[in-house]
Amino acid sequence: MIASRSFHSFVVVFPVVYSVTYLIAVQNNYALFTYHPALEEFGPLVQPPRDGPAMYWYGWIATAALVAFVAAVLTRFMPERLAQRLWSGWSWAVPIASMLVFSYMLSGYFTR
Amino acid sequence: MTTFLLIVHGLLAVALLGAVTHQAIGVLVPGRKTADSFVGRMRAVSAPSYVSAIIFLYAATAILGGIIYGEYRIGVRVVLEQLELWKANGAFELKEHFVALGLGMLPAYWYFWRRPVDEGDTRARAVITATFAFIVWWSFLVGHILNNIRGFGS
Repeated sequence: MIASRSFHSFVVVFPVVYSVTYLIAVQNNYALFTYHPALEEFGPLVQPPRDGPAMYWYGWIATAALVAFVAAVLTRFMPERLAQRLWSGWSWAVPIASMLVFSYMLSGYFTR
Repeated sequence: MTTFLLIVHGLLAVALLGAVTHQAIGVLVPGRKTADSFVGRMRAVSAPSYVSAIIFLYAATAILGGIIYGEYRIGVRVVLEQLELWKANGAFELKEHFVALGLGMLPAYWYFWRRPVDEGDTRARAVITATFAFIVWWSFLVGHILNNIRGFGS
């Protein structure tokens, strides 16, 4: 029962932290690694373009996944009372809110 | 090789589109099990039976898309910018972020479909499935349109 409740917290917290971290990572370019498609090379953290564009998308996903995993694992130590009150709706409300924020951020593409 | 991977990516996306659409309809507007019309039978599908297939197809399609994304970044996006096709470019930018956010929702999607339902879980199932359906439809249509604008190898 406790393991089940702990897993419930994990799956609710993971998408919440993942979505927020991904948004912050994109906004501030916190990529865990960079891909240089023209050279077919990966490099650690954020690197400037080399012989063509640099791609940070994979690195943003890695940053978000890592932070979310650590945060979700830490919910194991969350007080029982708090874990019981964790609303399962956060698992979809925050990702949907993040999608709306991205839509707003990129709206310039559709209005020029 | 990229063209081959793009075709496989497209085929996986078609399978995913079918699976997630059936599941979304089955969970959002469930129908009678004995329905005899086309739409009625679509509403009466066993929505839980699609979960494993959707998780596999979503992950596989995203990974394949990620593999060919480098080629897109060099060979397609640059051309879209030169042609000032901002709407097409923006639609793809949204696609990459929506797909990434969907990846983060996969554990919750799996969890809420596998456990016995209470009221909160039923809503979570329905909303998460509808969100996946939206992401998959958006990604499919945008990918298709961009491929029509400038397919690989053109």
